[in-house]
Amino acid sequence: MPIYVSVVVPLYNEEESVEKLVSEIESVGTSFDFEYEIILVDDGSSDRTWTIIEQLGKQKPYIKGIKFRGNYGQTAAMVAGFDYASGEIIVTMDGDLQNDPADIPMLLEKLEQGYDIVSGWRKDRKDNFARVFPSKIANYIISLTTNVHLHDYGCSLKAYRAECIKPIKPYSEMHRFFPALASMTGARVTEIPVKHHPRKYGTSKYGFERILKVFIDIFSLNLIIRFSSMPLKGFALCSIPFLLLTTLFTTLSVLSVILGWTAGKAPFFLLLAMLSGIAAFHLITLGVIGELIVGSGDLSHTQLPEITKKTLMLGCDDE
Amino acid sequence: MSERDVKVQYSVLVILEEKMNEKIVGFSDYIDTLYDIFLSRDASFEILIIANGAEGLLRNELHYIEKCRTQLRTFALSKKVPQAICLTLGLKESAGDIIVVCGPYQQLTNESFIGMLDAFTDDVDIITPCRENRRDPRFNQLQSRIFNGLVRFITKSDIHDLSCNVKAFRRYVLEDVKLYGNMYPFLPILAERRGYKTKEIQCANYQAIGRTGFYSLSEYFTRIIDIFTLYFNTRFARKPLRFFSAVGALFILIGVLIICYLCFQKFFMGYGVGNRPELLISVLFMVFGVQAAGVGLLGEIFVFIQGRHIKGYNIERYVSAEYSGPERRKDIGEYEQAKPVNIRMVDKHNTEERRKYEKH
Repeated sequence: MPIYVSVVVPLYNEEESVEKLVSEIESVGTSFDFEYEIILVDDGSSDRTWTIIEQLGKQKPYIKGIKFRGNYGQTAAMVAGFDYASGEIIVTMDGDLQNDPADIPMLLEKLEQGYDIVSGWRKDRKDNFARVFPSKIANYIISLTTNVHLHDYGCSLKAYRAECIKPIKPYSEMHRFFPALASMTGARVTEIPVKHHPRKYGTSKYGFERILKVFIDIFSLNLIIRFSSMPLKGFALCSIPFLLLTTLFTTLSVLSVILGWTAGKAPFFLLLAMLSGIAAFHLITLGVIGELIVGSGDLSHTQLPEITKKTLMLGCDDE
Repeated sequence: MSERDVKVQYSVLVILEEKMNEKIVGFSDYIDTLYDIFLSRDASFEILIIANGAEGLLRNELHYIEKCRTQLRTFALSKKVPQAICLTLGLKESAGDIIVVCGPYQQLTNESFIGMLDAFTDDVDIITPCRENRRDPRFNQLQSRIFNGLVRFITKSDIHDLSCNVKAFRRYVLEDVKLYGNMYPFLPILAERRGYKTKEIQCANYQAIGRTGFYSLSEYFTRIIDIFTLYFNTRFARKPLRFFSAVGALFILIGVLIICYLCFQKFFMGYGVGNRPELLISVLFMVFGVQAAGVGLLGEIFVFIQGRHIKGYNIERYVSAEYSGPERRKDIGEYEQAKPVNIRMVDKHNTEERRKYEKH
């Protein structure tokens, strides 16, 4: 029987929790009436994490282990997991036992209702205020700007249809924004409340610097989502203020000649008009180059997921 | 045992970097030393001499050296090309598991060289020597220190002597790390960032030949550009918008501040704004800021659309019930067939050949 669900777990220095996590997933797995696999990705841990993964991988046929040469971050670990996953559905979760594998069946059930991505929502979050507050703001901003409304982008427990997430090939630190990115293709996203456990082992890998980076990422992400398929539009929008300035300064320059203002004003305004005119021209040129880049690229990530298409036409299907 | 059954352990690439058209004093002895070192280790090896921009007498000497020896091949490029191309050529033509890159003269003592080969344990992917008691003039050492210090500061790596012309790599490192232009000296750093284990060992300096004192201006310029390229590549290659938006935001902020100041003066102190240079400067700053951010966005779009095949990770091992071992199992030293014996560039300047050709 082909594998239906792949559970991808990025791990970084989690020697205490690996075995417990696997056994928890296994106990959920006994209730499945389909094949599943667990992909454990060791993101360059310095402790015994890999040794444990290697033992598990050799003993149990449904476990695959991947060891990175260095620490490449959670996004890279998840992408590697996606690349090696053979399941039709991919479930991602944290390696530090903060997510409960018992929620997986719930996510799958939601997917079966016709969604492409189901995100977990840690409704009853067990973190302190300093962690929760910036995260709430970030979630609000992401939801508002990307128009994909989720309460908890930061929750790692998410389920995707493989075809929605695999073509995106995220990089840098995009793992928080997978649902927003996938929605570019028209994937349908929803969320359900999941359980959240406080951290038992290890230390939290977050800090203030992270918050700042997340905000920069939100900014970049929005630009990419909006303009990566129509860069000229983006750049043309940016150039509008400069075009307005050009018009304003040209008018002022003409007026100063007609009305005979102080000597020197006309060339000064003309200079300003030319400056903003050049800026506008330059931006539009960048937009044109952007169109060239997009046009010559591989655009597999902008295609509507097959399943979505099928379910859209469900009426004429015999199922 | 037939020749093709021998699995080559070491491939030594001797790269003659400077454009030379004369015989190099003691070059033949240097090659002999290399032979002695590897013969004494009882290791299978091959030597490839790559002359980057070789003409005249040097070509003849290389030809002679090749004629007199086995396990040695020479590649004389009549036009000087970037270092990375030489290395890629060497990688393609060689078959060894460990690739030792050497310069045009013996820089390390024999003991150090052997020590370097010994240090190649299983958990090491790259060895870079750090020269002790250097033989080159103080001034050159100072320049080299400054260069290495700058690189260490920028990349936060811990390699002290990038300018040493001897380095040793495992084949898969060179196959994996993309090299272009002048990035070769920084290869250990680039490889380290891909997760390969780099080891620095202390070595004794044997001799120093080459230019002393100041280098040419273009040399310094190239170095500075190289360091900047390295900085950008290692930090922002996959997120250009972060770099450019920081620059852009700074300039826009300066522009806005100046405008605010002008408005304050206009409305509260009654100064005119019309023909003051500050206005021009603030507009200039803002224009520059927007353009920087625009270029960043373009870069980001490029990375997002065109960089999709680049893998953001490097897998060391993979384990499942069917297979357990290194990820790149196919690539590591399974070169069954012997490589073509000799490929040499056609010498366009060889008048005798040309005369023969014209007679036909």
